[in-house]
Amino acid sequence: MTWLEQLRNSRFPILAISVLLVLLVAGLLISVASERAIREQMAREAGAQADLLASAVSGALAFGDRAAAQDYVDAVQVNPNVLAAAVYDERNRLVASFARPGQDIPAVARPRDHATTLFRDGRLIVVRPVEQGGQRLGTARLRLMDDPPMQRFMRYASLILVLALGALAVGILAVAQTALMRANRELADQAQALRDQIRDREKAEEALRQSQKMEAIGRLTGGIAHDFNNLLMVASSGIELLERTTDPERRRKLSEGVRQAVARGAALTSQLLAFSRQAPMKSAVLDLRGQIEGLRFMLERSLREDIALVIDIPGDLWPVEADAGELELALLNLAINARDAMPEGGTFTLSARNLAGSAETPDAVRLEITDTGVGIPEATLSRVFEPFFTTKEVGRGTGLGLSQVYGFARSSGGSVEVRSQPGAGTTFAITLPRTRKAPPPAPAPSAGASDRESGGAAVRRVLLVEDDDGVADSVGQMLERLGLDHVRAETAPAALALFEADPAFDLVVSDMVMPGGMDGLTLARTLHDRAPTLPILLTTGYSAAAAAAGSEFPLLLKPYRLEDLDQALRTVAAGRGA
Amino acid sequence: MRTPERPFLVAAIVLGVLAGPSAGPAGAGDDLEYGVKAVYLVRFAAFVEWPAAARRGADAPVGLCVIGQDPFGPRLDAAARGQRAHGRPLVVRRLAGPAPLDACDIVYVGRGAEPMLREAGDPSGRLIVTDAAASSRRGMIHFVVAEGRVRFHIDLRAASGAGLTISSRLLNLALSVQRR
Repeated sequence: MTWLEQLRNSRFPILAISVLLVLLVAGLLISVASERAIREQMAREAGAQADLLASAVSGALAFGDRAAAQDYVDAVQVNPNVLAAAVYDERNRLVASFARPGQDIPAVARPRDHATTLFRDGRLIVVRPVEQGGQRLGTARLRLMDDPPMQRFMRYASLILVLALGALAVGILAVAQTALMRANRELADQAQALRDQIRDREKAEEALRQSQKMEAIGRLTGGIAHDFNNLLMVASSGIELLERTTDPERRRKLSEGVRQAVARGAALTSQLLAFSRQAPMKSAVLDLRGQIEGLRFMLERSLREDIALVIDIPGDLWPVEADAGELELALLNLAINARDAMPEGGTFTLSARNLAGSAETPDAVRLEITDTGVGIPEATLSRVFEPFFTTKEVGRGTGLGLSQVYGFARSSGGSVEVRSQPGAGTTFAITLPRTRKAPPPAPAPSAGASDRESGGAAVRRVLLVEDDDGVADSVGQMLERLGLDHVRAETAPAALALFEADPAFDLVVSDMVMPGGMDGLTLARTLHDRAPTLPILLTTGYSAAAAAAGSEFPLLLKPYRLEDLDQALRTVAAGRGA
Repeated sequence: MRTPERPFLVAAIVLGVLAGPSAGPAGAGDDLEYGVKAVYLVRFAAFVEWPAAARRGADAPVGLCVIGQDPFGPRLDAAARGQRAHGRPLVVRRLAGPAPLDACDIVYVGRGAEPMLREAGDPSGRLIVTDAAASSRRGMIHFVVAEGRVRFHIDLRAASGAGLTISSRLLNLALSVQRR
């Protein structure tokens, strides 16, 4: 069976083999049928000739006229296929005969009572009885030449030729088909390999972008730590002073200061988290003015106090199409570079203007980032966008910052150029093409006080799932302040058990990342399966967890204030309970 | 069982015997000559066709009658034994005295039988075979010995007159054929 397997695996089209077989069988059948017909015809003709001889020779045989018998026998010679002819009497003794050279005639023949026609040893032998008026007088016998093999071969040569041509055509077609199939397969393999490479490359690029972000954050760390220290200073001193004073007015001012410090810290971390989140590159229509204003806080953190940040962006700036995260990262990279270029302090200017296009060049927006630093030497100016090219000492930079800026500009369909005078500062100019698409609608304003009462379901009892005792305690107090009863569970399984025992909860507030083998998201899904109308609010301080929750459940980011919690609870209750 | 006839052997011997000076009517030569003639008589039955009216019945045998002196003896019986012609068996009859020839299809006229033949009258439906050795009168077939071989003349006109049909193959072998 192995040859069969090989045949199957050879990919030689099975159809071609079938056609060849059919051709072969058909050819054989035709040959056999034709051969048989020709032999029958031969036998018929020989039989007729023998009949003629037997009929003619009867008188001569009956009355012993040898000469007459010989005349009849000799007449048969005109047929060149007759090798020998003989007439035997009733006792099978030879009466008259002729034989071509090499043929022998037995003097006594083998008795044969009936007409006989047989092919033997390439000879056709025909025996016919000689009878007259019912009297048996003897036999007439003919020996004829059967077709020699060469003659037979010639007869079928044309058929063989046609068959061979057919086989050749089928074979060529099959080979061509096989080659085509193989080429197709190779092409498909190559395309798949190419797709794999592209995917790997995209992954690598994605990883590179993320690492570039992380690198920028690392370089921001100093400034952020500085900020946090300031905030903590405000908070700790405020609390300390709160404990030492009883003056209500003073206490109010102190607690207001602490609250503001905490709010700033929260804003800072939320911006960091948003910045570092892993998101696929996605082009969107951007309003540069809004984007850069939103980044002002981060930019300030990345610069030092001795560097002034000037943002000069007109309100009628055309929209562009780019990835918002990449834009932020590019500006941050440029700000950090500027900071390092201005050890003595200076001014960091972000300006933008519209560039009206012409017939050849389309409309564009030019974004200029200028510092008043030491400038870039002529020799290195042409290399600043090369990946891993850095003039900074080891540990201070990876050389990926400006290459990210370059990559951002190119992937957004724009360009970036740099001008610098040593000692007179540097200007990076990013040109982005104008987009005709409409900018996305501004995010809807947060629900006002008038919406708070729109929730249909009244919330009385809350299941609080939180592993951290401190957080649980403070959130518990917040809930009490909002006039809600609450039951706390330390883990998700414990919360499930509580809910099983007593499902009379109006709402669930759960942390997302918890020990105990089940996270908040899984708990929320499980509870949602059991009670689809039960409102669930997830809280977290982890950006990764926040991304995981997605839009599946409402999310409240830590840290949050009482007001935030109140609003979130009302929104959740209204949305789910309605 | 067929009779072991040897016409050619016989003919060969006859040739040699008749060529010799001692040829006489009643020697060993006669013996062979009449053996051949007996076989010929039997063969004639196969080469001659009788009119349907002459047939006495579908299965009635072909009567092979010897009138006058019988020169064959048992040789004729041996030649005819087991033979058939046109699907009918052959029967040898010897008519020594005057008798009707009703059951005779072939009549061999022996020595001294001419008066009997004349008495029989109408030869219709009968093959009359005469022998130069017995008389000079010629019947439809007349045996002679020529060049040492037994041969015969055929009187086709007489045979036709009697309603008989003689095969051309037999005519081809005759020394002479009298037509019309």
